[in-house]
Amino acid sequence: MLYLLPHAVDRAAMRAPDRDAIRYGDAALTYAMLAERSDRLAGLLRSEGVRRGDRVGIHAGKGLAAAVALYGAMKAGAAYVPLDPASPPARQAFIVRDCGIRHVVTEPARASALRLLLAEGVPVECAIGVADTDLGVRTLSWSDVDAHPPAVHDPDLVEMDLAYILYTSGSTGTPKGVMHSHRSALAFARVAADTYGFRGDDRLSNHAPLHFDLSTMDYFSSALAGATTVIIPDAHTRMPASYAALIEKERLTVLYAVPLALTHLLLHGAIDKRDLSSVRWVLFGGEPFPTRHLRALMAALPNAQFSNVYGPTEVNGVTYWIVPPLPDDDTPIPIGSPYANVEVRIVGDDDDAVVEGETGELLVRTPTMMRGYWGRPDLDARAFWKRPVFGHFEDVYHRTGDLVRRRDDGLLEFHGRKDRQVKARGYRIELDEVEVVMGSHDAVESAAAFAVPDEDGSVHIEGAVTLRSGRHLTVEELRAHLAISLPRYAIPERIAILEAMPRGSTGKIDRRELARRARERTLTVERM
Amino acid sequence: MKEQLARYIATDLLNESTRAIADDEDLLGSGLLDSLSVISLVHFIEQEAGIDIPAEDVTIEHFISLEAIDAYIRRRSP
Repeated sequence: MLYLLPHAVDRAAMRAPDRDAIRYGDAALTYAMLAERSDRLAGLLRSEGVRRGDRVGIHAGKGLAAAVALYGAMKAGAAYVPLDPASPPARQAFIVRDCGIRHVVTEPARASALRLLLAEGVPVECAIGVADTDLGVRTLSWSDVDAHPPAVHDPDLVEMDLAYILYTSGSTGTPKGVMHSHRSALAFARVAADTYGFRGDDRLSNHAPLHFDLSTMDYFSSALAGATTVIIPDAHTRMPASYAALIEKERLTVLYAVPLALTHLLLHGAIDKRDLSSVRWVLFGGEPFPTRHLRALMAALPNAQFSNVYGPTEVNGVTYWIVPPLPDDDTPIPIGSPYANVEVRIVGDDDDAVVEGETGELLVRTPTMMRGYWGRPDLDARAFWKRPVFGHFEDVYHRTGDLVRRRDDGLLEFHGRKDRQVKARGYRIELDEVEVVMGSHDAVESAAAFAVPDEDGSVHIEGAVTLRSGRHLTVEELRAHLAISLPRYAIPERIAILEAMPRGSTGKIDRRELARRARERTLTVERM
Repeated sequence: MKEQLARYIATDLLNESTRAIADDEDLLGSGLLDSLSVISLVHFIEQEAGIDIPAEDVTIEHFISLEAIDAYIRRRSP
């Protein structure tokens, strides 16, 4: 019976042992190799004291080691927790402390990065995947993994046990951990594999890093179908022409990425010089796809079907829309209708259903829903909406914070957020978190972060601060302060140091006015 | 050209004017440049070197390091 994520790999290893499960550059792991290596890693993790319900950190970039690590952690009975290699050590350390990670799986190339993380004084006791013995923690190499007897049987989990925790931006200044069980993760992997009809001969791209929820479809829907996941190296995600060459060389059949990456593929990938006819699905999500770019990409890839994929990390997928031929105007595309087995409600401020056709907050009831936020019952209380909707007992919905409207044809449209969360170039960022970190510099008196629209249809973040009297601060000094705890993508692209903040009649900072000045490029440094 | 490129990347793309960039430093895999900064960098080179860079030339092998970019520009310059 298939009820835990690693079962999907083990089943594929029985049915098609020699098929590639994961490919990265010129290297590959067949399903038999992936099953065996992750069994050995699970055996070693258990020998090193990992028990059911523990959290194992994945301290590795995208690649074969990370793929083995996440299955190995789950086979050992633990939840895997990806630590974004590009984020500052202090932020990774927060995550390690927050969920109590004692074991990390890493790779030799990241030994110096691991040293920086350990220097933050985290409770890690054991690092697997490095040979360096002077790290101050117990270390075991990948050769030790391959020499260890495999874990022989399931770790006595049930599907409600945690599979992974993905940390995302939190409005109080520190990230929050979204917990998914094997049940919620598998439910989504299944619905995606069924909806798009993934098959054993499919070759899916893995564009997103592991801490990004898009990656779960790339790995788990693919494993369910016994298909091949081709990891797109980070350098290729930044170089559209190289990415296009890789799609051609690897004969990819399914692409899944944020719209910005696909827009860059269209505009800068020289795709007219490539044979991309292998692609049969282009899936995109994370933020709206500008209609004119989507239409042009559809024309450039006539063999492919396109689908908008919508759903916050907390609930995996909610709605999808298989894009029909688009009319020649720039009307924003809808997010579509719910996947099978997903129920939505649109409510007003009173939590009652809105009148048909009005905008309201989207509530979702689905087996793909998270268990909650790690160690944050206060956030859970807001995230879960529990009512006896159908009259007999509590029905639990997730409160997405997303505003939507149902069109006359029944499709849902996205209308922004209830709070100050933004999607900037595909990254989910709480503007409040950016403000809290800017305000934590002791020379800063007040701070504001706000989203400014880009030409390519996305947004970027800008910021403004005022300084305490008598204090001096340069923009570079403030940036250095932000870089200690924020990932690069959350650091405002431009920061103005102002004499005074524009304020509304109630005295609140007028962020709309700041964004307007930023758009006009009249927001500048007034003092230092 | 390498020095000019290093200055542009540090000051304009990374907002860290004091950041030193070695000639052979990996600009792409390390996360130093994202896809948007690559586009800005291409425009900068087109203007400074007076060459036209077709999209199919903006590849990892040509842009992996300052050395590689410099070699590409030399090859393309009249």
